[in-house]
Amino acid sequence: MRIADLQEKIDTTTAADTLTESYSQQWEAMSQLDQAGPVMQFMASNDLIFVVLGVSLIIWLVLIGFLIRLDKKVSSLEQQLENTESENRQSKETMYTPQENELE
Amino acid sequence: MKPWKYAVAIWMTLVIIGGFLIEIPEIPILLESARNLFLHVPMWFTMFVTFGMGLVYSIRYLNCERLELDRKAAAATQVGLLFGVCGLLTGSLWARFTWGTWWTFAEPKMNLAALAMLIYVAYLVLRTAFDDPEQRAKLAAVYNVFAATTIPFLLYIIPRQMASLHPGAEGNPAFSEITAPELRYIFYPAVVGFIGLAIWLFDVLDRYKKVQQQLKQRTIYENS
Repeated sequence: MRIADLQEKIDTTTAADTLTESYSQQWEAMSQLDQAGPVMQFMASNDLIFVVLGVSLIIWLVLIGFLIRLDKKVSSLEQQLENTESENRQSKETMYTPQENELE
Repeated sequence: MKPWKYAVAIWMTLVIIGGFLIEIPEIPILLESARNLFLHVPMWFTMFVTFGMGLVYSIRYLNCERLELDRKAAAATQVGLLFGVCGLLTGSLWARFTWGTWWTFAEPKMNLAALAMLIYVAYLVLRTAFDDPEQRAKLAAVYNVFAATTIPFLLYIIPRQMASLHPGAEGNPAFSEITAPELRYIFYPAVVGFIGLAIWLFDVLDRYKKVQQQLKQRTIYENS
């Protein structure tokens, strides 16, 4: 069991290492972190987990923004529907008034 | 609300929880931000699917000229653009902490993805240029076929011929031996979940457009 576990661990590290070997020399990462502002330092803390939070928030905000816009559009559609309906009612009412008939 | 939408909601919730909680191998520089694989990459997969849906609807429109197909093509493309923008923004943030820059012109995939977005923004701008729905639908469908054909070149073929900061440049697929197997347990479900979410958004947007269309027709009919 322990050997198998160890073997598995070695396998994953090699899998991970291929990535770093081929790309890390081009990836500058946060090499100038000490000169960066407090926000950037915070984002880079805790093994970059806040970057994942930031990415989740971006997706969430874009999707919720879309939803809010769509909701507003649906509301205006409802308003439009209500307006046309009340117009219809008004035009029907006016059709039966004697004044309208006289004019015609 | 149809039952599959509840399934998507629960599925995505589990994916997000799993994505934050699973053990991932330690990869230098990437560290915990490797979890962005579950968020950033599915954005692009979802975009491909929705743009693909738009392409199919556009071709079907050209075939039988039913206006509802044009409406569906527009809705799918809008949702695709939404996910494309998410992909660009999340990629930019991720790049800042791994590549050391928000945006770099040395990276073909990044720039060509932005170009692809602009091509699709042009599709939506083109649609607003016509008042006649038939004319708009026909030209938009033809343009959409062109826009969709640029996607494989801009996002697959050209980036693979060039040096890139993205993993998986220079000919090798991004998602092969270089990705640790544990990441896949969440990655694939995340792709499925985001595609489900996109189809959900597409459905709501399409229903909105349908009602809008019906209301417009009714007012035209009543006024005439």
